[in-house]
Amino acid sequence: MTKHGLVIDQERCIGCQACAVSCKQENNVPMGQFWNRVLTEGGEKMDTPSGGYPEDGGSGSLDMQYQPTACQHCENAPCVKVCPVNATYTRDDGIVEIDYDKCIGCRYCMAACPYNARVFNWDEPEHMPEEGTGDVEARPQGVVEKCTFCSHRVDEGLDPACVVNCPADARIFGDLDDESSTVSKYIDKYETDQLLEDRGTDPNTYYISGEMSPGRPQTSDKMESELDDVSPWSDGDDDVPSKEADSAGGESSGSSHSVEGGEIPYATPAKSGGDD
Amino acid sequence: MSDPQQPRLTPIDEWENEAEAMLDDVEYDTDLGVQMARDAIRVSNGELTDAEFHEKYHEAVLEEFGEDERPTKPEGFEDD
Repeated sequence: MTKHGLVIDQERCIGCQACAVSCKQENNVPMGQFWNRVLTEGGEKMDTPSGGYPEDGGSGSLDMQYQPTACQHCENAPCVKVCPVNATYTRDDGIVEIDYDKCIGCRYCMAACPYNARVFNWDEPEHMPEEGTGDVEARPQGVVEKCTFCSHRVDEGLDPACVVNCPADARIFGDLDDESSTVSKYIDKYETDQLLEDRGTDPNTYYISGEMSPGRPQTSDKMESELDDVSPWSDGDDDVPSKEADSAGGESSGSSHSVEGGEIPYATPAKSGGDD
Repeated sequence: MSDPQQPRLTPIDEWENEAEAMLDDVEYDTDLGVQMARDAIRVSNGELTDAEFHEKYHEAVLEEFGEDERPTKPEGFEDD
């Protein structure tokens, strides 16, 4: 079986909101709504740190972490259990989706979601431009909507838009049931958390904190499972780097970035944006 | 209170107020929604089984929605 999951490396996240913007664009998310946001942990309000500025030559204690948040695609999803019409359901591959034709807008799923990941179309959705954006049909007024892990892309063998467009390679998507996938290896190797673990929802989204991972290894839009070779050189058209490319590349070769054989690929760590 | 329309992590002690706010103005039973949400988390926690959850709310859901298509329905459970 395949169980899709997402690993977000909070040490790599620079809080640029590219994931939020690309999600909105790709999924035709209405004006005023977000499926995917970068929250902050620190002060009492968004984008405010805890602690204080340095005083009298001291080092200060300002601290803030970026907390990208969207639907966690929980294994034990409470939203699925409360839906009286089975509009919210879990696909065989673990993605939690909404059948917008079935949704009656009761919002019970919103109340049950501990992550506040769902939004409701109170009014007729407005889009800019009017004809909408991306490859997903707009949802009507009166339904709940949320992140789908870009299931329309996943079904085509492509990574979610937020994953492909993260400039810090902080988002890694893959098959949690495949021990050799990068997501499984990172969860095994790095310290990871799931949000609100005490609620038992068992999200398929994991957050790395502490030690920075090498991040998403491939540059291709394709999912890792679609590639013969996962490397920073792979654009998905030719999965295995050519000898010419290797020799032109100089000091590195594709094989040193492969995740074959239990290796963790190396990439230059991004500057941490988590500690301000 | 912050806008319940936008994703955020709700501290557990604020959750119930926020859940009620989400269900305000909805044409369905607010109390039922809050109770089901609370118990759905208990199911996730393992404090309640899917079957117990289904049976507990089956009649209320039927009365409120005219149908009960929740996936928690235990095998052999007979709809009224």
